[in-house]
Amino acid sequence: MSEIKIVDATGLACPQPVVLAKQAIEACEQVRVIVDNDTALENVKRMGTKLGCEVKAEKKNDGTFEIDLKRKAGVIESKEDFVPSCAAQAVSSGPFVIAFAGDKMGRGNDELGSVLIRAFLDTVCMQKERPDVMIFYNTGVKLTVQGSEVLDDLKGLESLGVKMLVCGTCLNYFEVKDQLGVGVVSNMYDILETMSKAGRLLTP
Amino acid sequence: MNAQTPYHVILFKSVSCVLKAEKILKAQKLPHKLIPVPREISPECGICLRFEAAMQDQIKAALADKVDIEEIRMIAR
Repeated sequence: MSEIKIVDATGLACPQPVVLAKQAIEACEQVRVIVDNDTALENVKRMGTKLGCEVKAEKKNDGTFEIDLKRKAGVIESKEDFVPSCAAQAVSSGPFVIAFAGDKMGRGNDELGSVLIRAFLDTVCMQKERPDVMIFYNTGVKLTVQGSEVLDDLKGLESLGVKMLVCGTCLNYFEVKDQLGVGVVSNMYDILETMSKAGRLLTP
Repeated sequence: MNAQTPYHVILFKSVSCVLKAEKILKAQKLPHKLIPVPREISPECGICLRFEAAMQDQIKAALADKVDIEEIRMIAR
């Protein structure tokens, strides 16, 4: 029985942990990898499984993870390159949110800004990867009311499961609350919570 | 007007032509949608008007002699 090699990959950025772990398991039969984030945990586990190792992971009280990798007898290592997914993991760490701070895209020329926001929303509708939540505040709420040029696009997105939060104070200020055509009237608590938990936050 | 079916786009020489054309179509209640120029036509940022094939003649007639149309293209999905 050979010794267990310890790889301390805490504090290292992706893809370092999985690169070190792979080098270690190629040199030794048994390796214990210590990581401090979910991305590294998932990448190391995936790499271990792909190379045909027994994989056991345990969460420690200090927030780190210990992953034990053990080569199975007789298993020939995969020669394929393992591609760690740094970005994919980061993306899944929170919802994809688009915040509409106005009814135009960009600042400078309003006529142009109106055109751009319509083209932007048409493009959002065409993308495979849709936002999880869309937030509308200040003049952005005008996009969500009756008569808005983009109401059909927004309704389409909502029917596909995109959540829409519309600032109640703003609807009230512009006196258009009774004309809301899509989404739900929301408040600063939900808006701030959604923004702060976002994996990605876009403002057109 | 987002169905994944073939559709037509009208391309114009400038953004202001698009806006002028849109005003005319709106006034005549001819259905259309302002969209970005599809990537397969041009990689540059541009906008154009999209419409259903059946509307082609009416839309062409509405814009004739009022706005310079660069091209009408069918986009197959």
